[in-house]
Amino acid sequence: MIPAAFDYVRPATLDDALRALSEAGEDAKVLAGGQSLIPLLRLRLAAPTALVDLGRIDDLRGVHDDGDALVIGAMTTHATVLTDPLVARHAPLLAQATAKVADRQVRHLGTIGGSLAHADPAGDLPAVALALEATVELAGPNGRRTLPVSDFFVDYLTTAAAPDEVLTAVRVPKHDGWSSHYEKFSRVAQAWAMVGVAALVRRDNGSIAEARVALTNMGSTPVRASAVESALAGAAAQADSVAAAAEQAAEGTNPASDLAASAEYRAHLARVLTERAVSAALGSAP
Amino acid sequence: MQLEHSFTVPVPVETAWEILLDVPRVAPCMPGATLTEFDGDAFAGSVKVKLGPITLTYRGKGRFVERDEAAHRMVMEASGKDTRSAGTASATVTAMLKEDGDRTSVECITELNVTGRPAQFGRGMIADVGAKLIGQFADCLASTLGAGAEHEPAVARAGSPSVPAGEPAGGPAVAGATSAAAATATAADPAAAAARAARPVTEPTAEAEPIDVLKLGGGLDVTRRAGYALAALALAVIAWIVLRRLRR
Repeated sequence: MIPAAFDYVRPATLDDALRALSEAGEDAKVLAGGQSLIPLLRLRLAAPTALVDLGRIDDLRGVHDDGDALVIGAMTTHATVLTDPLVARHAPLLAQATAKVADRQVRHLGTIGGSLAHADPAGDLPAVALALEATVELAGPNGRRTLPVSDFFVDYLTTAAAPDEVLTAVRVPKHDGWSSHYEKFSRVAQAWAMVGVAALVRRDNGSIAEARVALTNMGSTPVRASAVESALAGAAAQADSVAAAAEQAAEGTNPASDLAASAEYRAHLARVLTERAVSAALGSAP
Repeated sequence: MQLEHSFTVPVPVETAWEILLDVPRVAPCMPGATLTEFDGDAFAGSVKVKLGPITLTYRGKGRFVERDEAAHRMVMEASGKDTRSAGTASATVTAMLKEDGDRTSVECITELNVTGRPAQFGRGMIADVGAKLIGQFADCLASTLGAGAEHEPAVARAGSPSVPAGEPAGGPAVAGATSAAAATATAADPAAAAARAARPVTEPTAEAEPIDVLKLGGGLDVTRRAGYALAALALAVIAWIVLRRLRR
């Protein structure tokens, strides 16, 4: 069906956007690429009174090198992130996962900021941001602040951002020397992941110095598979140690049972996909 | 879907029993709820549930099906429909109170059935919504009953706590209708988590009998459809008679 009526504002600067948000009140929503929000509006599961479209604000676009991290503007589309040379060089996991987001049309409109602000645990990018230990920059009427992504995702579709705050950029630390892989499993191509695993490993000769594993759709927020990470740290970079570590993938998680999969199946998938993702990461060159 | 939730309140079982049945009294504990009718047995109202950008307002009714004072066991049925036609929710909540010295442990088992968009959309969203709702409700109830007991003089068995019952607010049953208490370890209020014995895992599939929604809402649709069918049949018969007459 068509969405319920709303006011629409398309400001030219971030300050105008913040002003429009405060004026519109608590039931206003920021519109980025609209690839997650508009479907909700069309299903009438959400009915904000006003939409503040950030599309005209060029300051929020682009990937910049900031020394030890990359700063990616919130309105940077997935298509841009996919092909960006800085991302390919310093945080290829982000490009690998972004390539698996929905389909080409969605990737040309959807944005990284929107994806994180929507905070759907079934989305691919929140888990990747968690694995990369990224931070988000928020701008509000009271100024700016930064939050680590682990504090930013609070609950299903709920973030620590206030209703009058705008996510302006994502700061991704450079991961030179790490190898990575994003494994996504879904029944229908280009659908949400039933379960997804983002794996990053840093090798040290024949063993794994450090590993980061984050899970998509295994809880109401993306989660780190800490048990797997501890098991992999210092382990030999061999198939059997990876398999043993991957057995603990579902620990501490709370997967949902829904029309796509049962909780038990999701736990099983987490274990299988973790093994695949870590093996693939180890097999690929940093 | 079957969900379990248990919590402890610091009042004796008789007091807890009395309060839980007094719907307008526990109503303020259900966030986003409005109680429009209550006649001791049945009640009507609505509950607004908000999760990120999503808002659902279920409007419906419920009633106490069973009240066993001796065993301190009550069964309540409720069902509601989303005002924006996002679907329906219906639930049967069985609450059992057990004496635990000067305290009462409350165990709730909810049979929940959700239809429509929230059930189809992405992750089992209602599970998260419900866990939050029931968690908040349990914490609030525990603190309300606890606070009430503190107001009494030293003897614990004095009457019911002084909860302001003036404003209509909400029904636990209407909450039961929309909520799926996943009873996860992620408690909404860490302080109250100690007071609650939360079960860590959601039980995925319902084994009990499904709720008879026909009684409460679907029945109307069936009768309406039957009515249309009869009307169509009557028209067909009349048309046939008229045509026969014309042909003669």
